[in-house]
Amino acid sequence: MIGPDAPTVLEARDLVRSFGAVRAVDGISFAVREGEILGVIGPNGSGKSTLFNCLLGQLLPSAGQVLLDGRDVTGMRPAALNRLGVSRTFQLLQVFPQLSVRDNLILAGQEHVGSRIARLFGSPDAGLGAAADRMLGLFRLEALAAEMAASLSYGQQKLLDAAIAFMAGPRLVLLDEPAGGVNPTLLAGFRERLRAMNTEAGATFVVIEHNMEFVMSLCTRVICIAQGKIIANGAPAAVRADPAVIEAYLGD
Amino acid sequence: MSHARHAAVLGAALAALVLAGLVSFALQPYGIYLLSLWAVYTIAATGLNLTLGYAGQVSLAQAAFVGIGAYTTALLMPHGVPFGVSLMLGALGCFVLGLGLGFPALRVQGHYLAFVTLALTTLAFLVMRNETWLTGGIGGISNIRRPAGFASGRGYEFLCLGVLACVTLLAWWLLRSPWGRAFMALRENPMRAASLGVDVRAYTLLAFAIGAALGGVAGALYAPLVQYIEPSPFSLDFSLALLLMVVVGGSGLFLGPFLGALVAVLLPEWLRFLQDYYLVIYAALVIVLLALCPEGLIGLAERHLFRRKGRA
Repeated sequence: MIGPDAPTVLEARDLVRSFGAVRAVDGISFAVREGEILGVIGPNGSGKSTLFNCLLGQLLPSAGQVLLDGRDVTGMRPAALNRLGVSRTFQLLQVFPQLSVRDNLILAGQEHVGSRIARLFGSPDAGLGAAADRMLGLFRLEALAAEMAASLSYGQQKLLDAAIAFMAGPRLVLLDEPAGGVNPTLLAGFRERLRAMNTEAGATFVVIEHNMEFVMSLCTRVICIAQGKIIANGAPAAVRADPAVIEAYLGD
Repeated sequence: MSHARHAAVLGAALAALVLAGLVSFALQPYGIYLLSLWAVYTIAATGLNLTLGYAGQVSLAQAAFVGIGAYTTALLMPHGVPFGVSLMLGALGCFVLGLGLGFPALRVQGHYLAFVTLALTTLAFLVMRNETWLTGGIGGISNIRRPAGFASGRGYEFLCLGVLACVTLLAWWLLRSPWGRAFMALRENPMRAASLGVDVRAYTLLAFAIGAALGGVAGALYAPLVQYIEPSPFSLDFSLALLLMVVVGGSGLFLGPFLGALVAVLLPEWLRFLQDYYLVIYAALVIVLLALCPEGLIGLAERHLFRRKGRA
């Protein structure tokens, strides 16, 4: 379990993002401690993905702060944040279709190895061949290593998409709907892989997900967002039983 | 791509160069000139293939870089600057200009970027035509000497092929390195690439700069090849022709420019009997090719090879 004295990895302070008159993220504050798997639930359009984009430098927040290990990283560019050990997936599948599955993975790790000049003169796989093979094994993609990512099935691409996010050994991973469109067998395996990354590598997760069973069985804590505000924050079972959450999101 | 396939591609490119060298012994001076021109076009198109085919950045500026390389050589060599040095200076100048051209690409993409790069070609053309004190204007610069030892047609062809061999090795090694993978990531999915620590800004600028530098190298070879330069070969038409070479050969495929440039050099010769109808037929052939095989001639060849392999 996560002790109350585990250090805070990521913190949002009064985060606001407006689009015209719409406040998609409307004063959100929360903290994620090391080793947590934080679930983020809420109806479509409640601001979950906008929140992710503000946390990760994809969008500049209109107000508020983002802190990583207590350091202000508000508005830092995604590439720079990634090099600090923060990784993510996107709501829609984001792979590199015309690269082989193996090259997708090597690309995901290569910018973390040495300087750019050293990489130019170094080995073509940036010394990541073995790491890529390990990741391929972990996500059961070995047989597809040489295939173009575009030729994979949706579920396989979804696995690749997640594997890409883990390739550089991140400390913090934000997953946007990892279970969407993945069949139940694949999903169970995927959940186990996330758990293993959490317990073995000590990675911290923030997971946006609509699949409540997946959220309940994976997350250590859940927050519920509705209309840009946090309406519940606590243990998964408590959040699921919260009348406000039932009214805004889960239904009866 | 597997190591074996990478090696096979390089082998095929170098074999083409050796073949071009051997064939020249059976050719008249005009044929040798055409082979030299092929080498020059291949270098320029390889640069554009890097920017456009691999990194996905549309550029209609390649003719400007070839022009800048050509004028640099033509202007420096009479002052006693050795050919090799003027080639390097031309390439360096194009590298720096290419970096500058990369900045608009950080803000606009697609057709908009095409327009920005088109503007550079037009601007360079106007400078070549109007700044008579420097470039000789429409009168151009004549009597451009070839470097000592490479004065004959065949000698100069070998120089062109030698430089093309160097460019081939360099481009092959670059594209096989992690940089090549990052360039392709820009083309495939820049947003995801950024989330993986790929510095999209740096790689975009580099893709333009390196592609431009190869344009400069091609230009440096072109000036002594034809021995007389004036602005018109470096107009927008030539940018479009280079774009066509990349696309017809196979955009984003290493051997694409080799074949695309061959088509661009030979087809006008073969279709010469058609006279004014030549461009119509050329255009029709390109449309048919791209409708049947958007991956270009190399793509078409690969498709057939794989099909045969599948049957065997």
